[in-house]
Amino acid sequence: MVGRAMSRAVNEADRAAEDLLRREAREARARLALPVALGVAQVAAGIAQALLFAMLVGALLGFGNAGWAELGLAAALAALSAGLGMAQERTLVAAGEAAKARLRRTAFARLLEEGPADPRPVGERAALVVDRIEALEGYLTRWLPSAVLAMAGPALVIGAALLADAPSGLILLVAGLLVPVIMAVTGIGAAQASRRQFEALGRLSGRFLDRMRGLPTLVLFRRQEAEAEALGQAAAELRARTMKVLRVAFLSSGAMELLAAGAIAMLAIRHAAQLGAGHPDPVAGIFCLLLVPAFFAPLRNFSMAYHEKLAARGAASELAPLLAPPAGPPGLILEEMPRKLVVTFQDVRLTYDPARPPALDGLSFRVMPGETLVLSGASGAGKSSVLRLLMGFRRPDSGRIALNGQDATALRPPELRRLSAYVGQRAHLFRGTLRENIRLARPEATDAEVEEAAEAAKVMAFARGLSQGLDTLVGEGGFGLSGGQAQRVAVARAFLRDAPLVLLDEPTAHLDPGTEGEVLESLRRLCSGRTAIVATHSRAAQRMLGRVLEIEQGRAAGARMAGE
Amino acid sequence: MTADLIRVLGLWRSRAGWLVAGLTVAALAALVGVALLAVAGRGIAHAVTGAAIFAGAAAALAWIWPIALMRPVLRYLDRLVSHAAAFRALADTRVWFFRRLAERLPAGLGFRRAGDLLGRLVSDIDALDRLYLGAIVPAVAAAVVVLAIFLLLGVVAPDLAVLVAAPLALALLLPPLLAPGAAEAGQRVAAAQGSLRAAVVDPLTGIEDTLAAGAEPVAAARVAEEGARLSAAQRLLARRGAWGGAAGTVLTQAAMLGALGYGLATGHEGVAGAVLGLFLAIAAAETLGLMPRAGAALAAAAASGRRLFEAADAAPPVADPQKPAPLPAGHAIRIEDVHFTWSTDRPPVFDGLELDVPEGARLALLGPSGAGKSTLASLLLKFAAPRTGRILLGGVDITTLSGEQLRSRIVCLTQDARLFDDSIAANLRLARPEATPAEMWRALDAAGIGEVVRSLPEGLETRCGEAGARFSGGQARRLALARALLSDAPVLILDEPAAGLDPDTERAFLETLDEATAGRTVILIVHRLIGVEHPTKILRLAGGRALTAMG
Repeated sequence: MVGRAMSRAVNEADRAAEDLLRREAREARARLALPVALGVAQVAAGIAQALLFAMLVGALLGFGNAGWAELGLAAALAALSAGLGMAQERTLVAAGEAAKARLRRTAFARLLEEGPADPRPVGERAALVVDRIEALEGYLTRWLPSAVLAMAGPALVIGAALLADAPSGLILLVAGLLVPVIMAVTGIGAAQASRRQFEALGRLSGRFLDRMRGLPTLVLFRRQEAEAEALGQAAAELRARTMKVLRVAFLSSGAMELLAAGAIAMLAIRHAAQLGAGHPDPVAGIFCLLLVPAFFAPLRNFSMAYHEKLAARGAASELAPLLAPPAGPPGLILEEMPRKLVVTFQDVRLTYDPARPPALDGLSFRVMPGETLVLSGASGAGKSSVLRLLMGFRRPDSGRIALNGQDATALRPPELRRLSAYVGQRAHLFRGTLRENIRLARPEATDAEVEEAAEAAKVMAFARGLSQGLDTLVGEGGFGLSGGQAQRVAVARAFLRDAPLVLLDEPTAHLDPGTEGEVLESLRRLCSGRTAIVATHSRAAQRMLGRVLEIEQGRAAGARMAGE
Repeated sequence: MTADLIRVLGLWRSRAGWLVAGLTVAALAALVGVALLAVAGRGIAHAVTGAAIFAGAAAALAWIWPIALMRPVLRYLDRLVSHAAAFRALADTRVWFFRRLAERLPAGLGFRRAGDLLGRLVSDIDALDRLYLGAIVPAVAAAVVVLAIFLLLGVVAPDLAVLVAAPLALALLLPPLLAPGAAEAGQRVAAAQGSLRAAVVDPLTGIEDTLAAGAEPVAAARVAEEGARLSAAQRLLARRGAWGGAAGTVLTQAAMLGALGYGLATGHEGVAGAVLGLFLAIAAAETLGLMPRAGAALAAAAASGRRLFEAADAAPPVADPQKPAPLPAGHAIRIEDVHFTWSTDRPPVFDGLELDVPEGARLALLGPSGAGKSTLASLLLKFAAPRTGRILLGGVDITTLSGEQLRSRIVCLTQDARLFDDSIAANLRLARPEATPAEMWRALDAAGIGEVVRSLPEGLETRCGEAGARFSGGQARRLALARALLSDAPVLILDEPAAGLDPDTERAFLETLDEATAGRTVILIVHRLIGVEHPTKILRLAGGRALTAMG
């Protein structure tokens, strides 16, 4: 049963991957016409050159009277062929760029849309947008044109050979017809292996990023050596999987070599025997022999591009869900920004993991404009979940969340977020200056407004001590700032945001009592006149900010008034 | 560039057997390819002219089938063995790089972008395979072919040998000639790929903040911009490659034309040689056809190597002593007149810090955020070194001890202590690899998270998710705390151990801390005391010094 369900899932993934590749191939067709035409011209030049070479060899052996003029012509063709090759390369690269940019944009937008609900590690998701898209490029700019040329090129050569010497043409024709047979035989199972290999690559990326981020923790416990060994093992696993894919991919190119060598051997034997016995047209015989490299060159390119196809197939099955058109209707757009908001939760339920108890289990409350609701309760009680729902990071399983009486979940999540200023539990500082980090909340804000927000959130209290003030660079994860300082930058964002709903998750964690008092004071100003929900353990915050709602295992335990 | 490439080869020394085997098979496969066309050409020349070029030429065509069969087998083996060799070498490089980073960047990634580093590790190391597969293997095979052609034709006619082999040798030299130009393009591609990855990773890492600020368009625009930059760099590299390809085509064609021209010029007695020369040049064209790409491969590998070494060669924050002193028996800590600043353009964190922590002491360290409480932990663990002053452990200056030794005595729960995307048990075992389940449960209970873990269907085997994402902030913090408690180091630094805990849990935890840390030195870094900590000493950090706060 399980096996069948799994194989059905695999088949669906396969189909989705095929659909994606077909869609992209259709899109790329127009752009690939020029490079393919250039490739055909190159094959034609190769045939003409083989003819000239054959005539020259014939003349050397005493048949015909080709001479220096033909040699000069052959040289000119060589130059032409080189030029065609360059032009083809350029047009191919250009054809891939547009497709990559479009795919990357779609994939990244979808990852942002999925947001915090996506359980995959960041490294794995980043690999989708960077490496998988690059793998698709190989499919579009290598595999597709080489597939067309692998048909057109040999056909052209066979035609020329048939005209010159019918049996030779037939030998090449048979060899050409055997190529797809070999491809089909060796291609079985390769796609499966390819997907497994890409999974391994994704896991390795995810694992490296995870361990790299936690390098200080590993060093603290003196486990860096053990982890290095484990990473080595993961790399070995990747090698084993990659080799499995390549063993099959190389088999097809090995078979192609076999055909090429066989064709040369048969043609050589036929013409050598005939030439000795007074060949009627030795130039034609030599011509056919010289055609062999021109015949197999496009096929060889094709088989070399085969692993691009395998890689793309693997990449496509991972990308397909991300690039598929969205399922449901997109949701509503905010008609106008309300000045005042009433937030109502009615019997709201939310479960992250069916194996664990629900995070919210029938929670109901109402917050009026100008009111601040403080959520308290043990960690894991569901405080953060309330804020996540209001930010549209998650959708409730059941119950109703209403803003001014309207269903909040009917709004598009980005529209829902326009209503709120939010400070999460683990404030992230993006690479850039402090000023850029604050301005993120409202890009059109003036410098004065940014500084005002920084002042209100007590960012200036430490930024003044930095030689570059607000223009100090902070790294990913906020290098150089303590946890409390990073938190204050996030609070400054909320000040600058100026939204009717304020959502704060532990805004004063990591702060000493003195700073906490100051930040709370400015938070009170931030919250006044707006609707605010603050999740906090801090007794001081609970005292200062407003009505307290105690949450216990996802339900309201009872409301107290401030100061009670 | 050359130095970087040589250093990469040095890293691969232990895989020399595999690497040489790959080269040998590749050379054999190339030679068989030449032999096939040589036999065919010679057969024709012989059939027409009756002139034996070599002794025994009449039997030439008898050889054609065995050679025709050997060729595909050898080609298949060539690719298989050389890839297997390259992957082995690359795996070694990955682990080497991780080890280096563990030495060089233990105090965190800081300004180095985590996403960029990941890109370095995975895609730069992968790009190195092109050094072997894309440059060394084809170069060796082509060199063997050119040499074989020169020798074969040299026996027949030395001037013909020069005429055919000279342009081929020139084609062989193309990669090193083209590499420096392509190197710059390769560097730009590698750098652009790193920036693109960082542009993707940064907003995804702070996804909540990205969405909260409505910064999706900004993030998408940055990704598009970095993507366009990558495309431009790739275009430049492809253009260089195309030039190389055209040059290679022209040169191999010149060899064929040379053979024919020789035939035209010498007349009847040169015919057999000219035909053989033409066929050999055709055979060589296939092998040498890969060479122009080798130039680009060489450049890309050098660029990746450069970036890898740049990251790997960053100076370690604190160098270990050449010969570490033996670990002292005791573990009392003394800090004498320490001055410290993170960088010269920032105000000093410590300005004459004095601190005494006897064995078994329970020190509570207070102070406003940014006063240097966490910096003190970095100094004690040698993630940073004081500008002046000394720190003693058990009476021994810690500059004479290795970081590894020091960290066997001092364990720290840092503010950014991280849970890995692995099971709870695996995360706990970081602190003590041989810990039994009973010991793990004890630590979890002491950290006040035992009940929660017990309620999980998979218990200790529950996966934590990246950075503990599958738990709430407070729960993840307590798991990290349990890990610190599990270690058997005699000195425990707990930096905000109760951050993220609700007041009841915080109180319960601090009350049981005594028991959980019995007999050990504990340095408790906190914002405030709630009255149940029972410290033996309370100090307040202010103005870069430690002041006694209360009794």
